[in-house]
Amino acid sequence: MQILSLQDVSKDYLTDGQPVHALTGVSLNVERGEFVALIGRSGCGKSTLLNLAGAMDFPTSGKVLLDGVTTSSLKDRGLTRLRREKIGFIFQSFQLLHTLTVFENVELPLLLAGKSNPREAPRERLAWVELDGLGDRYPHQLSGGQMQRVAIARALIHSPSILLADEPTGNLDTTTGSLILELLRRLTREQNTATIMATHSPEAASLANTLVRLRDGKIQEITRR
Amino acid sequence: MRSKFACIGVALLLLQPLAAQYRTALPGYRHEFPRDHFNHPDYQTEWWYYTGNLKSPDSHRFGFELTFFRQGVSRDPARTAAWELRDLYLAHLALSDLDGGKFYHSERTNRSGPGIAAVNESLGRIWNGNWQIQWHGEDQELRAIDERFQLHLTLHPEKPPVIHGENGISQKAEGPGRASHYISFTRLATSGAIELGNKRFEVRGTSWMDHEFFTHQLDSEQTGWDWLSLQLADNTELMLFRIRRKDGSIDPYSAGTYVDVNGKTTHLRSADFVLQPAGEIWASPKTGARYPMHWRVAIRKFNIELEAKTQLESQELTGKTGFAPNYWEGAIVLSVQRGPQSLSGVGYLEMTGYDRPVPFTK
Amino acid sequence: MPLLVLFYRLMVRPLFREPVRSSLTILAIALGVAVVLAIDLAGGAAAGSFRSSMETLAGDNDLEVVTSGGLSENMVGILATLPYPVRVSPRIEDYALIANTKKSLPLIGLDLVAEGSAFAQSESQKTVAFQTQDVSEHAFEYLGDTDSIWVGSSLGYRAGDRVELLINDKVHSYMVRGIYPDSNGNESAIVMDLAAAQHALARYGRVDRILLKVPETPSPEEWQQRLQAALPAGVEVRPQGTGTNENRRMLAAFRWNLRLLSYISLVVGAFLIYNTISVSVVRRRPEIGIVRALGASKRVILAAFVGEAACFGIAGALVGLPLGRFMATGAVRLMSATVESLYVSSRPGIIELNAGSVFLAFAIGVGVAVASAYSPADEASQVSPVEAMARGRREYDVHVQKARDFWIALALGLAAGAASCAPAIAGKPLLGYLAAILLVVASALAIPAFVEALTSVSSKLLGKLLGIEALLASRSLAASLRRTSVLVGALSTAIAMMTAVGIMVGSFRQTVVVWMGDQLPADLYLRPAGSAAADRHPTLSSYLEEEIAKLPGVAVVDRLRAYEINFENMPATLASADLNVPRVYHNSDLFSGRPKEQVLAELRDSNTVIVSEPFTYKHHLKAGDSLTLSLGETRATFRIADVYYDYSSERGGIFMDRNTMLRYLPDPAPSNLAIYVSPGAQLDVVRTEIEKATAGHRVLMFSNRDLRAEAIRIFDRTFAITYALEAVAVIVAVMGIAGALLALVIDRRRELGLLQFLGAATRQVRKLILVEAGLLGLLANLAGLALGFALSLILIYVINKQSFGWTIRFHWPVEILFGALTVVYLATVLAGLYPAQVAVRLNPVEVVHEE
Repeated sequence: MQILSLQDVSKDYLTDGQPVHALTGVSLNVERGEFVALIGRSGCGKSTLLNLAGAMDFPTSGKVLLDGVTTSSLKDRGLTRLRREKIGFIFQSFQLLHTLTVFENVELPLLLAGKSNPREAPRERLAWVELDGLGDRYPHQLSGGQMQRVAIARALIHSPSILLADEPTGNLDTTTGSLILELLRRLTREQNTATIMATHSPEAASLANTLVRLRDGKIQEITRR
Repeated sequence: MRSKFACIGVALLLLQPLAAQYRTALPGYRHEFPRDHFNHPDYQTEWWYYTGNLKSPDSHRFGFELTFFRQGVSRDPARTAAWELRDLYLAHLALSDLDGGKFYHSERTNRSGPGIAAVNESLGRIWNGNWQIQWHGEDQELRAIDERFQLHLTLHPEKPPVIHGENGISQKAEGPGRASHYISFTRLATSGAIELGNKRFEVRGTSWMDHEFFTHQLDSEQTGWDWLSLQLADNTELMLFRIRRKDGSIDPYSAGTYVDVNGKTTHLRSADFVLQPAGEIWASPKTGARYPMHWRVAIRKFNIELEAKTQLESQELTGKTGFAPNYWEGAIVLSVQRGPQSLSGVGYLEMTGYDRPVPFTK
Repeated sequence: MPLLVLFYRLMVRPLFREPVRSSLTILAIALGVAVVLAIDLAGGAAAGSFRSSMETLAGDNDLEVVTSGGLSENMVGILATLPYPVRVSPRIEDYALIANTKKSLPLIGLDLVAEGSAFAQSESQKTVAFQTQDVSEHAFEYLGDTDSIWVGSSLGYRAGDRVELLINDKVHSYMVRGIYPDSNGNESAIVMDLAAAQHALARYGRVDRILLKVPETPSPEEWQQRLQAALPAGVEVRPQGTGTNENRRMLAAFRWNLRLLSYISLVVGAFLIYNTISVSVVRRRPEIGIVRALGASKRVILAAFVGEAACFGIAGALVGLPLGRFMATGAVRLMSATVESLYVSSRPGIIELNAGSVFLAFAIGVGVAVASAYSPADEASQVSPVEAMARGRREYDVHVQKARDFWIALALGLAAGAASCAPAIAGKPLLGYLAAILLVVASALAIPAFVEALTSVSSKLLGKLLGIEALLASRSLAASLRRTSVLVGALSTAIAMMTAVGIMVGSFRQTVVVWMGDQLPADLYLRPAGSAAADRHPTLSSYLEEEIAKLPGVAVVDRLRAYEINFENMPATLASADLNVPRVYHNSDLFSGRPKEQVLAELRDSNTVIVSEPFTYKHHLKAGDSLTLSLGETRATFRIADVYYDYSSERGGIFMDRNTMLRYLPDPAPSNLAIYVSPGAQLDVVRTEIEKATAGHRVLMFSNRDLRAEAIRIFDRTFAITYALEAVAVIVAVMGIAGALLALVIDRRRELGLLQFLGAATRQVRKLILVEAGLLGLLANLAGLALGFALSLILIYVINKQSFGWTIRFHWPVEILFGALTVVYLATVLAGLYPAQVAVRLNPVEVVHEE
């Protein structure tokens, strides 16, 4: 079942009045349980693709379908619901709220979505990322790897259909990075979610089912294993 | 007949609708003293006028003038409160420092108010603020305070009071009532002190006092006058005035009085004397008036010829209010030829209406 | 020069990138500057340059002769005939109302006969009758008419106009005989001749003041002695304008207190500058690190941030200057109302914006900015190049030392308590103010601990109550503790001042209300319609009392009389009532607490008085002491039987039996009548009867209730200016909150963007900011209320007592306080609207990815 479908998507920006073609004619289908790695040089369009996939941005032309819904057809309310139910984000620099504990950080999307009594789900997610017992800590009391695990737990809190990770190992050392990648791959499989990960790292790419190589905003090749 | 006009003339005429409430000076008035030295509220205008020539032991000479005027404003019997305006009391004070070449004068206007100015027979006192005459029997104590100088003099009459004119009145113009009751002390032996600046002068000399009361005595053709009081060294005195008319002529009601050694008086009609300026003119820098500084007098009847001159030209009193007439009033010295005899003498000269006609009527 | 270029690039240019926030900061300073300037200017115009209206046409005199209740006019005769070259100018001084415009003007009776010539003697001193063009020849003609008046040129009348004047309780028609120029320091007044003035005021036989011009030598003091020796003992010779100086001294205290009040906005502004510069420092830590690494010295960094503050200060002063001038116009009106109803009749002068005012504006604008920026600027200079360039943003309140600050706060609080127990210094409650300042500082230091305690306790609770946004908001406030504390400090200071003054004024008001209940026992009160004020007591025609007493339904009429007097170089009010009139008092308003009837019985027909509380305070007298008054021409000694509370005026009061007063001051005309209605008689019927009986007189009749309402109206008018000052302080604080929230939004934009990635709706982002604003407001309200309560105690029991000598009973003005705090709270939340909008408009993709 296709959870994400990009159909001939282009995205142009205006930067200082000059049009920049971030993506040109990109088509891509992703299914549940698929672990996709986006690779390519800086500025090749990886982040743009992720933002389009996460409905944080919209194509200039073409369509992005998330679970069968065209993102650009949704209003603010629909988009918010989409994000709350279908999408989890993971960032290079973790993006944890320093004022909240680990537990609260994980719990946050549920609370934002107005879910009541969410005590069980965060605990479970923390167990998934092997951080049981660290829920009362604050982010600054954690290592980088632990912080990224928290971010992953947070991204998974509402069992999203699709997980979007932007250079999740970029700020981590190689060993820790490997552990995080392994975790991501495992969770993708176990939770039957789709993960799209932008990365520079060849090691990361080697773990993916599908390898999408981007160059100057175009898909150069798609390799499925 | 005095400079009182100079200050009072205006008020006098402004207020004349009320003149009907007052008596006029008519023949047959019976003078009585000391009553007639004091107030006559039935007459609209009244004044007491002291002038004199004084000398300190080191021969520093002074002239002085202290004048009290009373001008009736209202005789409305409802006006009883102290400040209500029944009479205006005006006063002029002047000191001529003849040897110092300086002339000081000041004026004040008051109402009677709560004892500010009045004439009171029972107290024997005539005053306007702290300028006052206090009678002690016949003697008159004069005291006047100014910021620049002070006078404190005792005046002793050497002759009885003189009543000028004829039949108790001094006629000034044609018509009944155009006259005044006019009383003088023609020779007052004077002693006392003058304080001028930080200096104090013990002085002696001779003074003259005029007291006149009347209601509306002059007429509109009269523009000014010249008046002299003359005290001759032979212990006789003369009072002379001439009234100038608009057409330049001398009014026939000009007159005078001769007082002999014993105080006996002789009335002088205008035909009885000659009174003329004799050349010298002083032009006032303030008013532009041209005052004759040298006068010649001749009275054939008494075989008197004299010349009057002043030692100090600037003895002009200028009204600071701008509407009171300006006049010249000053000490003079006399050189008298009486028959074969050459005499000295002193006196006071008053000249009015030289800058503009004195507005007697309106 | 290169440094200036750098300063521009690194410090000034960034300010333009956040125009709203920069503007808010500038505006906050501008308002603070404007308020101080406005009060300074208005104080100068309304009170500082105070010149009694009665000095109009007073000329160049040296001395004045006065006594309580007016001088016998015989004094004029005595003085005029003394053998001294002294110019004597008697005056009658009162007020008249122009009947159709209700404009109140000084009514001055002069000896126009003498003044005319006396003034004429010195060319420079031309006055009244004699300098009007057409007057010269007619002057004396009109003097005798009791309807002749001369008026100041600015009134716009012309000679020959008729003017209706309300004087005391009668209206008469007067003829304008001449105009005098009132431009050169002479106030517009109605001038009459003494005779006419005595007639108009029925003040026969008396004058109010005699002015004297004495020669330069020997000395004014010597002349004062010489002239005093010539006059009766009760009559006082003193330098001219002594009354003005006394009033000036009295007003100085008022002005001083008002000026201090105006500094509140500035204190609030200082908090905000501190915050602005702190934010600026924290944001630029990396920048500072880079610049330091590139060779900038600590001093350069310090100077840069102080310079930034100075820019704000200069801009604030530039805006504040015209704003202050504008506000001064309103302030003058409010202030003169206070001066009029509480102190003395005066007319505000001209507001002068001179070099001094400009200097003041810049000095306080730049001064406050630089002083409050010094600490964060100093902190900036301590930043080490390595630390600042370290990756990742450090939270910005690393240096808050809550515990230490809390203990210091406690110590300062104790010091404040001690200072508030100390007595006044030189008549000024300096230590009282010190205590207030210490409390404000203590509260500022205690606020971090307070904020943290409260947010940590409340965040869970709030999270439950208001959702995740509230949890996030309270966490964020606790996290940026320093910034939060400064904001709460600023707003709570403003709220505290508002609360304190509110409680003080409310307590005062309540005290007055209760006090009036005992003070006004009669059913109806009658007073002349003529111009009345704290220092003016127009009188009623004396026969009115008899006519009213005869009316059916009138049980008894009490005649009250008041005089403005001078007691030991201070103005005071001497009052009397008919103590033969039986009264019933519910409560005693006496210090001793003895039944009032009993004390008043002691006063009857004896040289015994009771005095007001402010009087005892000013003159250090107490019950049992005696005092000597100059009354008429005599000096008389009175025993003080007791002290009564009095809130009607800040001037001291002396109260005696009417018979006692008449022995010394025989004028029978009463200032007021208090009418007691017979039991069973209809108040309205009696009132109508009295109205009929007083037809032809301009009188004002008040029922007991009217009078109380009127008194409260005057009371409220009196305090209008304090309310205005509080309002400005709160506005400054709220603007500060808006600016600070804006900074908060900008600083936390990544977090706000992230929330949207995590599924936050825009509504939630907006709510988050508004909840933060609301929390700030709540914290500030709580802290402000607590501090305000403490300050109100200092105001009521220390500062008020020491400045004015009033005993005020503490009272919570619940409605007003609740209303004001609600308004402030809502304003704070509203101040979050714009920042919330900014937060919503942020592009989450951009802000999350920017690094």
